[in-house]
Amino acid sequence: MDTRTTAGGMSETELAGLLTQVRAGDADAWGEVYRRYAPAIFRFCRRLLPAREDAEDATTEIFMKVRQKLDSYDSSRPFTAWLYKVASNHCWDTLRRRHIRQDLETGDVDDLPLEHPDPNQLQRLEAEHTSKEVRDGLAKLPDRARAALVLRYFADMSYEEIADTLGVRRQFVGVLLLRARHQLRDALGQSSVRSVAVGRKS
Amino acid sequence: MSGNDGHFDEMTALLYLEGQLDTDRAHETAQHIAACASCRALVRGLERESDWLRESMAAEDEPIPARLAAIPGYNAAQWIWIAAFGLMAGGAYTLWNGMVEPWYAQAQQAGFTQGNILTMLFFSGAFWKGWDSMRSLMEFMAAATLGIVAVWLLRRRWRHFTAMAFVMSGLVLMLAAPSTAGAAEVRRGDPSFTLASGQEVNTDLIVAADRTEINGTVDGDLIVFSEMVTVNGHVKGDVIAFGRDLRMNGTVDGNVRSFNQSLTINGTVAKNVMSWAEDLVVAERSTVGGTLTAFDANAELDGRVGGDLLAFSGMTQVGGTLGRNVSIRGGRLRFGPDADVKGQIKFEGQAAPEIAAGAKLASAPVVTIRKRGPNYARAGYYWRQTMAWGASFIFGLVVLLLAPVFFGNVVHASDRVAPAIGLGVLFLFAIPIAAIFACVTIVGVGLGVAALLLYLIALYSTQVFVGSWIGEKLLGLRSGIGPALGRLALGLAILRGLRILPYVGWLATLVMLFWGLGALALALHKMSRTKAPAEVLVAH
Repeated sequence: MDTRTTAGGMSETELAGLLTQVRAGDADAWGEVYRRYAPAIFRFCRRLLPAREDAEDATTEIFMKVRQKLDSYDSSRPFTAWLYKVASNHCWDTLRRRHIRQDLETGDVDDLPLEHPDPNQLQRLEAEHTSKEVRDGLAKLPDRARAALVLRYFADMSYEEIADTLGVRRQFVGVLLLRARHQLRDALGQSSVRSVAVGRKS
Repeated sequence: MSGNDGHFDEMTALLYLEGQLDTDRAHETAQHIAACASCRALVRGLERESDWLRESMAAEDEPIPARLAAIPGYNAAQWIWIAAFGLMAGGAYTLWNGMVEPWYAQAQQAGFTQGNILTMLFFSGAFWKGWDSMRSLMEFMAAATLGIVAVWLLRRRWRHFTAMAFVMSGLVLMLAAPSTAGAAEVRRGDPSFTLASGQEVNTDLIVAADRTEINGTVDGDLIVFSEMVTVNGHVKGDVIAFGRDLRMNGTVDGNVRSFNQSLTINGTVAKNVMSWAEDLVVAERSTVGGTLTAFDANAELDGRVGGDLLAFSGMTQVGGTLGRNVSIRGGRLRFGPDADVKGQIKFEGQAAPEIAAGAKLASAPVVTIRKRGPNYARAGYYWRQTMAWGASFIFGLVVLLLAPVFFGNVVHASDRVAPAIGLGVLFLFAIPIAAIFACVTIVGVGLGVAALLLYLIALYSTQVFVGSWIGEKLLGLRSGIGPALGRLALGLAILRGLRILPYVGWLATLVMLFWGLGALALALHKMSRTKAPAEVLVAH
């Protein structure tokens, strides 16, 4: 008996039963699935998309897609992973539609900053910033950098899935993640410098 | 292993941490870490950073919006939108026909009458009744749209009391405004109005009645909304008439502007005549002093026109005298035996004009024959289509560059095919109706004309958005201006190809207009919602 729990707080068997009911057209079962997963998906969209309204709309649209595509879901794979895949594809499409400037596709490791981060400095950065500040910093990153971090550390996606969603080569995902981390550190570093400066002034 | 002094770099550390190195490399790295304190610190630092990122992102920092409490999912909901529109519109129409009209008729019989133009337009029906075929559709659309737009606006913004108060007081003002301002006499028929012979109105006269007969004299303009208008007397100003039949048997010193199903001129009009009508008759022995401008299905011109004749007409028969130049576009043209044309004649139509034996024409007509519908065999046709494609592409390019987010939003909204088309159907009819109301009521001509212009631009832009949507479905979504333009170009070309198809092309155009306009409305609504907090911020 499989009693592992999923992100929705249900055992796998419970979830499988629920999904079978949904496929049979049971509206209550669908309501249950929605209630369990909507908060996580909303938060996921909130991290990925710049505006709150966009995240709200995206959440609704994602669940409409999920309902439509449920028949194509392979129940041997984890449901949450599939859900995040649908969600990330949707959000990334939304971002891409609006984004007409080309992201830099050159993904050579040579482009990366060569200097190693000082582990102490990293620790200081972590200690000095609240999680709210991290989220604000994240929102300032370029779309693809932000998406890479969210897909990896919020949705726990594999490198293959990230590559597939963002339309990049598998080998490039690591570079993307490392560069995004550097960009986030810079953003947070700058904001702390600024807050110190403001603090001195006042 | 890269890096200095045998240490590995941050990239390797990250890949090692995330389990992305192949077995040999991972093993090698693990061994190095066991021995090297600085690399160990680096990996631990990155690991801590990963945890920190996970925690920060997972934090439940804001409540789930109430809007998301509604459970989405069954895609049928999209079609429910259309069904709901249909039901609502049908309901409004039934309500109108079953309750409002009889009630109003009763009120009218009991002696309650209103005199201002808005209520006249809405309730007297004289304006609509002239257009029997259009009436049901227009009323249906107007009533449904007004309701939906009101609900739509108020649903999100009901807190904005100021805006509401403004709208409400505007409406109250319009309905309650004194019927006339200044020097005009307003008459409402009961149900008919007659200005008896010998009577004189010293100012402008505005009449709304079922039947109107002017046998006396009007010193100013005559503005009339009526099913049947007969002018036997004398109008010293202009005559402006909306209705079904207008018969001008008397004398008008000014101009005649007619929006009627039929216009018959038996008397004399000293200045110009402009007519939108199905049938236009300028009878024998009648005179139009100035220019005659006509948009009609059938025109019989047996009288005398002193000025130019400019006509867009299905069938034109000339049996009288035309004093100056003649320019006619339309189906067919016939000059009877008594025709006498003193100026040049230009005709653009489907067949060469017929000229009867006795007709006197100062010069031979310059004739351009146009075949009905596009000429698919000619290269020029395809050249024009290509030019039109180019123009729409440039328009799309400008919108894309100036407002990429807006552009993306509209294309995204096109995904919701059914609601977009449903809304589009309503807006396609509602906007011109609203604009015409704005023009004829106190809201103002400026606003009406501006709305119509914006409407035309919106109609033109529909191809850009629908085209991009089609391109996206075919080429897929890739970021960057190049792919975006590729999608636009391909989609526009496909749309144009569909639209020039014989027999079904017009249908493609219609669907495109509905769809694009609806998507535009959906996207604008969404953007207005997004911007609302910022407005509030500025206001404070």
